[in-house]
Amino acid sequence: MLALFACALLVLLAIYLVATAPGAWFPRAAAKSLTQRDFSMSKGTGRLFAQPHAGEALLVLSTDETGIAVVSGVTDLRSADYPIVAWRADDLAADADVRMLWRTDVAPAKVNSINLGVAGGGLAPAVVAHDPNWVGRITGVALVIRGPLADPPPRVYGVTFRPGGIPDALREVVGGWFSFERWSGASINTRSGGADVQALPLSTLLVAAAILAAGGWYAWALRRGRAAAWPIALAAVFVAAWMMLDVQWIANLARQVAETREQFGGKDWRARHEAADDAEVFKFIERVRDKLPAPPARVFMLADAAPLRGRGAYYLYPHNVLFDPFGNALPLAASLRAGDYVIVYHRRGVQYNREARRLRFEGGGSVEAEVVMVEPGAAVFRIV
Amino acid sequence: MLTLAAAVAWLPGVAALLALRRPGPVAAGEGAWIAGAGFLLGAFGLTLWMRVLSRFGVPFGGTVIALPLVIVSLVALAYAWRRDRFDARAWPARLLQSFQARDLAKWERILWFSLIAWLALRFALLAAEVASRPLYPWDAWTQWATKARVWYELRHIAPFARVAEWYAAGGSVYFDASPEYPATMPLLQVFTCIMLGRWDDVLMNAPWWQMAVALAFAVYGGLRLLGATATAAIISTFLAASLPLANVHVALAGYADLPLAACYAAAAIALMRWSRERGPRNAAVAVVLAIACTQIKNPGWFWAATLVPAAVVVLLPRHGLRVSMIAFAAVAFAIAAVARMKLSFFNYRLDLDFDPPWRDLFQSYFLLGNWNLLWFGVVVAAALAYKDLFSRSLVPMTMAVIGGLLFLFFVFAFTNASAFIADQTTVNRATLHLAPLMVCYMTLAYEAFARRFSSRESPTHAPA
Repeated sequence: MLALFACALLVLLAIYLVATAPGAWFPRAAAKSLTQRDFSMSKGTGRLFAQPHAGEALLVLSTDETGIAVVSGVTDLRSADYPIVAWRADDLAADADVRMLWRTDVAPAKVNSINLGVAGGGLAPAVVAHDPNWVGRITGVALVIRGPLADPPPRVYGVTFRPGGIPDALREVVGGWFSFERWSGASINTRSGGADVQALPLSTLLVAAAILAAGGWYAWALRRGRAAAWPIALAAVFVAAWMMLDVQWIANLARQVAETREQFGGKDWRARHEAADDAEVFKFIERVRDKLPAPPARVFMLADAAPLRGRGAYYLYPHNVLFDPFGNALPLAASLRAGDYVIVYHRRGVQYNREARRLRFEGGGSVEAEVVMVEPGAAVFRIV
Repeated sequence: MLTLAAAVAWLPGVAALLALRRPGPVAAGEGAWIAGAGFLLGAFGLTLWMRVLSRFGVPFGGTVIALPLVIVSLVALAYAWRRDRFDARAWPARLLQSFQARDLAKWERILWFSLIAWLALRFALLAAEVASRPLYPWDAWTQWATKARVWYELRHIAPFARVAEWYAAGGSVYFDASPEYPATMPLLQVFTCIMLGRWDDVLMNAPWWQMAVALAFAVYGGLRLLGATATAAIISTFLAASLPLANVHVALAGYADLPLAACYAAAAIALMRWSRERGPRNAAVAVVLAIACTQIKNPGWFWAATLVPAAVVVLLPRHGLRVSMIAFAAVAFAIAAVARMKLSFFNYRLDLDFDPPWRDLFQSYFLLGNWNLLWFGVVVAAALAYKDLFSRSLVPMTMAVIGGLLFLFFVFAFTNASAFIADQTTVNRATLHLAPLMVCYMTLAYEAFARRFSSRESPTHAPA
């Protein structure tokens, strides 16, 4: 039964690859790529941004006055050799309007475009083989993101021009299954099970193969009077399919554990926080705690970014912290009282007049306060 | 100290189950059930004791929490031993014998050891992750560990309140994102830190790993006690322990969903045992675990309520099914009526704008990597075993599962939570509460089908 299941799996995979691989089955051209360093921002603003583990990316920070950001790069490749274009990007809004533009040497003045699908914050590969404008030599490509941009801002890692064919499709499918899914803020809610964008999820293929194998085995067993064993055979296939999915998950988990140990292994509690992604907030709050009286002081934690606000508040306990977990509201000045502390961390809309010793909240009035601590982009005030 | 903390949480539950068990030889799987469900009960009991201490103004401390629990546990163990004297020296040999599974066929033994090794690898990886990573997921540091931090430092339970009350209280209450959430999980974190002797928001999450291990034991033991073969039970244990989202909730510990799922599954299993063995013992265990659900997370009230139809069919074997079905219909009607008033329950707004995002739900359950093949398996098992689902042996769990699925359907179809399916947030966490039970149900239903099918197709039953 398990052999039948394995055969069904291979046959279905082969059928899928033959049916979907664009271009020649075994093309000669090798894939070509542009990385984030090969791009420039023709519209909007961006900067290169190095992230631990994920590598360097072009961070798209803002759009131009017409509401679009354009990331462009120069190419020189034969369109016929590359029927698939795969942009590697992340943190795009689910409803983002994203397009790819390109120019060719056939009509150099003409800018061609195609819509790109957004899934899981990334971009689905575009099959351009049948686009009538994908002709001649491709002299330049661009990615157009129509704003408003997501928060955190989109990241562009590069683009790969793929030659298509069966080996490329197989690599894409299997690579998608085993693509590393690092912990993120969304991990606690959902797992993609490999790459965010997958044309053929492993679970779909396994279920199709299991149905085929179970049906085939039953037909075979019925003729031989062995159908009584069908429930065991079906269970065996189900468990085998589950195990294959679990291998993918365990491999991902093992890789994540290795990364985690690299980041935090052998460190004490404090050093682990200092090595964490939010180390800057942690260290800042540690400095703030030195300036605060013994807990519990009433403390207001203000920051524009919700994660900074929440993490900052968390590190402030057991002080009696107030923060806005769901919005970014400022406190009313009238609600503050002498002895309260206000922590402002990368938060617009709060001004301090040193001469008048007044702390003013945009739309919320002002209150007398003294400065306890000032750092670039951050300050601590005590209400007097 | 972590091991000691785990032992203190584990011992009272184990002692209680041993004291409650019916005198006589140990049934297959009973040891695993006692170990698994014992931890869930013991950990809950520990937090109840901490609430009592706080209520009477006794500051939290290692001795004041642990010592009375250990003494009471020893008394319960002594009672259990007096009532049903067993040879303690024979236990290691008996456990080894069960582990070696010599009565299984060769292929089954290979599977048995492979799955145990696989489970061990998984739990080792999860232990490495949970013991290294500082508190990571969002709600963990906006509404759960916030309480733990304050209570650990104050050494008693201090109240948390919403913003308006916080302002009005003038510093006597604290604030976080969900001040009304129950204290059980933060108290377990507090206890772990007290035993460690320091605030450590990495190691304080060890109870999540312990809960996952306990769930695995409870599933194995529970299914064996409900008549599953050793092979079916170990496979189910593997399936329940390998649900990717459940594993994520161990690795990124700090949410209350996995502990709720563990207690809910164990409560349903205890209820099933009650339906088969009768007597008040299993009913008591089911009730305590159902109460634990309500004290772990607010939706636990609804989950506990989904066990009521199951209890009804146990209490009223002849008319229970009809009564439960009428009750389901009445609840549906009441919800439809109440929904017109646009009320809110636990931050979920009821309305009649029926628009469940089926496509996203399908994606979550069947295509993404949250559940492996759980929902395919459940659908197939239920379809194949449709004749057995309302049989006397399965009907209580069927009612619990129907109640659970209706609850999920209601939340996603008739409340503002439907938005959480589209963005793949709460949909999977809410489903996690039901998932381990679905694994057990799938196993029992499939076994019932397999027995019926095999006896029908067996050559000995073929017409001459």
